[in-house]
Amino acid sequence: MSEPKQSPSIEQRFLPRDRESFFDAQRRNRRATWKLSVLCVLAAVVMGIPLALIVTPLLYAVTLIAADVINLFSPLPSSFWQQANEVARFGFVAVQWLLEHQPADPQSLAIGATVMLLPGTVLSIVLWLGMNILFRHGGVGGALLALKAREPNQSDLKELQLADTVQEMAIAAGLPAPRVMLIDTPGANAAAIGTSPEDARVLVSRRLVDDLSRDELEGVLAHLIASVGNGDLRIAFRVAAIFETCGLLVTVINSPFGSLSRRTLWRIIRYGLGGSRMEGGAQEAAVVADILSRGVALDTDDIDRMFDTTGKKSLFRSIRNFILFPIFFTNAAIKLSLWFFSLAVLGPSISLLLRTRRYLADASAVQLTRNPDGLASALQKLSEDDTVIPGGNWASHLFIVSLGRGKSGNSSGPNPRQQELLAKAWAASGNTMQSSDASQASEPGFATALREFTAVQRAALSGDAQALERLRAARSALEGLDPSLAAQMPDPADLLGARHGDRAAIARLRAIHGQQSAGGSLPAEEDPSSGASSNSFLDSHPSLRRRLKRLDRMGAHAELAAADRKMWIVAAIFSLIMAPFVIAAVALLLLLIAVMTMASLTFLVVWLAFIHKAFTFFGHR
Amino acid sequence: MRISPELIGIVAGVILLIWVISAFNALVAMRTRVQNAWAQIDVQLKRRHDLIPNLVEAVRGYMQHERSTLEAVTQARAQAMAAAGASVQKRSAVESILSGALGNFLAIAEKYPQLRAVESVVLLQEQLTSTENRIAYARQFYNDEVMKYNTMQSTFPRNLFAGLLGFSQTAMFTLQDADRQNVQVKV
Repeated sequence: MSEPKQSPSIEQRFLPRDRESFFDAQRRNRRATWKLSVLCVLAAVVMGIPLALIVTPLLYAVTLIAADVINLFSPLPSSFWQQANEVARFGFVAVQWLLEHQPADPQSLAIGATVMLLPGTVLSIVLWLGMNILFRHGGVGGALLALKAREPNQSDLKELQLADTVQEMAIAAGLPAPRVMLIDTPGANAAAIGTSPEDARVLVSRRLVDDLSRDELEGVLAHLIASVGNGDLRIAFRVAAIFETCGLLVTVINSPFGSLSRRTLWRIIRYGLGGSRMEGGAQEAAVVADILSRGVALDTDDIDRMFDTTGKKSLFRSIRNFILFPIFFTNAAIKLSLWFFSLAVLGPSISLLLRTRRYLADASAVQLTRNPDGLASALQKLSEDDTVIPGGNWASHLFIVSLGRGKSGNSSGPNPRQQELLAKAWAASGNTMQSSDASQASEPGFATALREFTAVQRAALSGDAQALERLRAARSALEGLDPSLAAQMPDPADLLGARHGDRAAIARLRAIHGQQSAGGSLPAEEDPSSGASSNSFLDSHPSLRRRLKRLDRMGAHAELAAADRKMWIVAAIFSLIMAPFVIAAVALLLLLIAVMTMASLTFLVVWLAFIHKAFTFFGHR
Repeated sequence: MRISPELIGIVAGVILLIWVISAFNALVAMRTRVQNAWAQIDVQLKRRHDLIPNLVEAVRGYMQHERSTLEAVTQARAQAMAAAGASVQKRSAVESILSGALGNFLAIAEKYPQLRAVESVVLLQEQLTSTENRIAYARQFYNDEVMKYNTMQSTFPRNLFAGLLGFSQTAMFTLQDADRQNVQVKV
């Protein structure tokens, strides 16, 4: 059936386009989900191999030391030591085959590989399952408290309409209606939060309710409820558990070095033993999950402090450093390989998976509303809007649109007048501290003041009392000049309290940080965002163009901007040029990881042999 | 172990039996969901019945010239509630008449701008609109489930024995002719 060619606009409006029904779109996306899940599992395996290679020797070391200690008190049967020798022999065969290409028969090679890889793998899986169980009941409540969510106001017409629309969409989907919570922020965004369809809540910002028409709001809510019904919450939860497991490994390996890691570990244990029944348990879970998810970032504060040569020297510290040196290598190897693999291998796979789920939710939303135009125009409106939700970074992959930078430029920092005030307050505090210097005629500029401030803040966080005093003096000086500006600066005592785990302090800090991102003017401290989308170089939200194109195929009348061909060509050429460098860099990193793994193994073995000899020597005495 | 034809036949028979049982369970589960979806429509219809008296009372003072419209609504509601146990066709007929009467009423209420200032009326109207939406979505969900159920029954190989096991095609909820009449707005 050939139609005469007509101009594209008429064709678009009157003749049927090649459409894809939303059922087909859903089927396609569900199949893609399976394929991507396999990819993610493969990525996890790839990431797991070097990790297991590093962790397993550590496990053996711990076991051996424990055995030695027990042996001191009651000698273990000789069969145990024979078994240990066998295991070690197999391990050596495998390592030698790898490094020096010494021939080995396949069977002992297989056993050797198992010996080297299995304990670490089993430990990781057990930890991941543990994370799943641990945080199943936590999560939702605490996070909402941090975001200052509230119930909808039944006497306000728009909020009543919102609650009604959620009920309508839940009926259309055949699900129990999730509770709706509102947050009052300048950003317009919405998310579905929770761990299961019974537990789910829909979080909507008041600005979104104001900006969108009823049809568009319906589309957005249909997307969120459809994603709940499709089981996306469970997927997101499992994904978060993966990153938390990595964080837990890092925390455990850090604990000999840093008090912060030890405290975090203690909090996790305490929460695990009975925290979900604790008062404020849900908030505690959210805080712990947040800390763990951040753990994958390269954070060397603890180690720096430990090996700080300018600090107090003592014989005890030197001995401790010497003894723990091999673990330092293991620590570095684990962190480096975790960071690299989660950024380049696991992260992108998970982002692709989340994107496919988002397309699926879009198609399901069309099924629920039978109105693709609503969702399409809502997405377009949101793309031009400010979508920052302060404090929501931990769940950025759950929101319907990515959390962009605020369009109103609120996060760009203090304006010139405020800079002057800040610099003046800082100078004043400096003068009160160093009473020997006379009041300096020239005030330091804002840039220098900011540098000094950051350094002093860091010192205060490590417990320097003088730095703490300086911060307090600066704050009171600022209060004298401009009280509203001072209210936006966090109280130094709160900073210290937050480090120690004071929940009230953390809540206060979060509130201030929320104000800063929303409309404050103090330079917000670098908030390393956690959550799935920060741990990879691919965003977990598909671009607006792609979503609109798919909605268009399902029947929306979205106006797509013409593809920028020039940009594509430039980008293609650029990536062709950069490709060899990127490949070289990746190869170097892999080599570095391999070297560190081997070094950690070597150090560990030598160290272990030394300790074992020491124990047997003392045992025979 | 020698593999004799009888053994293969027995194993195949067992596998077939297991498959038939699982298909039967799937069909039963689907049928129950269809019934549940139908019951959901009932819930929303009842909600509408409960909301109407409040709304009529709230606007009676303001819309004294529209007594016939209000009477039509109240009467249609009484009829719908009376037909609670009747057949599906009768019930969808009277509910459609009620939808028509309500549509008339809401269209006419637009002529009274002073109603917009009365908060209780605005909220009640919103609830009524939402209830109409809910009925529509409940019907849509019911139709979607019926589609899945019918497809499940008619695809090969289930179609071979679905009729034998007592499953039948279910009718979808279609618009009655009363619903399709244009809304009469008396000017």
